[in-house]
Amino acid sequence: MAKIKYVLAFLISCSVLVGCASVPTDPVEAELYHQVNDPLEPMNRTIFAFNQATEKAILRPVAKGYRFVVPQLVRNSIGNFFSNLKQPVYFLNALLQGEVKDAGIILGRFTLNTIWGVGGLFDIATEAHIASPTHDFGQTLAKWFWSGDGGPYLMLPILGPSDVRDAVGRGVDALAEPATWVVEPEIWYAGWALDKLETYTRSMDLLENLEKSSADYYATLRTMYRQNSAKRNGTAKETASAGQAKPAYEADFSDIDWEDDE
Amino acid sequence: MKKICALICAVIMSFSVMAASNPAIDFVDNLADDIITNVLTADVTPEQKLEKFRAAFTQAVDLKSVGQFVLGVYWRKASEEDKQAFLEAFTDFTTKTWADRFNMYSGQSILFSGVRNAERNQFYVDSQIEDKEPVEVVWRLRQKGDSYKIIDIIIEGVSMAMSYRNEYSAVLQQNGGNVQALVEELRKKSAAFDVQKAK
Repeated sequence: MAKIKYVLAFLISCSVLVGCASVPTDPVEAELYHQVNDPLEPMNRTIFAFNQATEKAILRPVAKGYRFVVPQLVRNSIGNFFSNLKQPVYFLNALLQGEVKDAGIILGRFTLNTIWGVGGLFDIATEAHIASPTHDFGQTLAKWFWSGDGGPYLMLPILGPSDVRDAVGRGVDALAEPATWVVEPEIWYAGWALDKLETYTRSMDLLENLEKSSADYYATLRTMYRQNSAKRNGTAKETASAGQAKPAYEADFSDIDWEDDE
Repeated sequence: MKKICALICAVIMSFSVMAASNPAIDFVDNLADDIITNVLTADVTPEQKLEKFRAAFTQAVDLKSVGQFVLGVYWRKASEEDKQAFLEAFTDFTTKTWADRFNMYSGQSILFSGVRNAERNQFYVDSQIEDKEPVEVVWRLRQKGDSYKIIDIIIEGVSMAMSYRNEYSAVLQQNGGNVQALVEELRKKSAAFDVQKAK
C-alpha cells in the first residue's frame, strides 16, 4: 500500500517541522493537556488548516455542484452501493469481536441488498427495518488489546479527525476490503473519492453550522471525535469509586451552584 | 375471585399508564412538539422565528448552570462582571446556533425509549430521531419543583455541555485564561451569524 507510506512520510515530516506541544506547567492546564491527549497538536493544527483550505477551495464547491446536479435517488443509490461494499469488513470484525448476532444481521443484510437490491444499489434491508450495525477494526482493537482513549489524537490529511488506534484500524480495514484486491487501483481511487464526496455532501450543512458555532473549530471537532469514539468503542470512562463503566457523556455537574439549591 | 381479577387488572393498567406517561418524557415530548408546531413550521418571518425559538430555548434550557459548567475551572477565577458577560454572550450565541440546527429539521419523528435516573434530581431521557440512519439523542434533565430544565443534550454519545467546556478551555488556554477574550470571540461569532442570515 503505497498510499499509507506516503501518509506516514507526510506525518513524520510535518512533526519534524512543527514539533510537539510542550506540557504546560500550570496544574489546571496540565490536567487539560493530559485529558485531551493531543501531544502532536501543533502538527495536527497545521494539517487541519490544510484540510480546511482544501475543503473550502475544492471539496465544498464540488459537493454543492454534485448536490445540485445529481438527483436524490441516484445519490441514495451511490450511498447504498458503497455502504454495501463495506459489509464484508463489518462482518469479519463482528466475528472477531465475538458479536455473532450482529455478524448474522450483517450477513443477512449484505445478501439481501446484493441479490434483491441489484448489487447494493437499493437498501432493501433498511426498508425492511433490519438494523445496520457497523464494526470496524478499531473497535476490534479496543475490545481485546487497546481499551481507553485510542492514543494520541491525530488529524489525518483529508480524512480528518482520528487517533492512533483508529488510524491503524482504518488501514487494516482498507486492506481487508475485497474491492482493494479485485479492482484496478484507478477505479478503486475513483470509487473511494465518490464515496467520500457523497458522505461529505450529506454532512456538509451540519459541518458548516458546527464551524460557525465554534470559537475554536479544531478543539470542537477534537472533543466530539473523542466522545463519539468512546461510545463507538465501548470504552467509556470508568468511575474511580465503583469501578463501574459509566457512559462517556456523564458530565460531572457536582460543582455547579444550582440557583434553587441554597 | 372476580374482584381479585379486577383488582389485578386495575393495578396492571395503572402501571402501563405510568410507563407511557412519565413526566420527564412528557416534558421533552411537549417541548419538541412546541418547537416544531410553533416555531419551525409556523408561518412567520425568520426574525420572528428566531425570537420564538429564543423564548422556548432559554425557558427550557438552564443556560446559567450550563454556562457555569462550561467555564469549568475558569468560572471560580472569573470576576462577577466577566461571569455575567460570559453568560449573556453564551446564551445569545447558543440560541442562534441551535436555532440554525433546528432549522435543518425536515419532518423526522422522535421516539422515546425510557428514562434513567442520573443523580438526585436529574434524569436521562433516551430518545431516537428517526432518519435513514437513526440518531440517538439523550436529554439530561434536572427537576425543579414540578418542572424540568434541560442541562445537557447528548447526540450519538457527544455531550454538548462537555463539548463546549472542552472547546472553551482550549480557547482560554490559548489566551492565558482571559474570560473577556473568550466573550469577545463569542460576540464576534454571534455577529457573523447575523450577517450570514441576512444574506
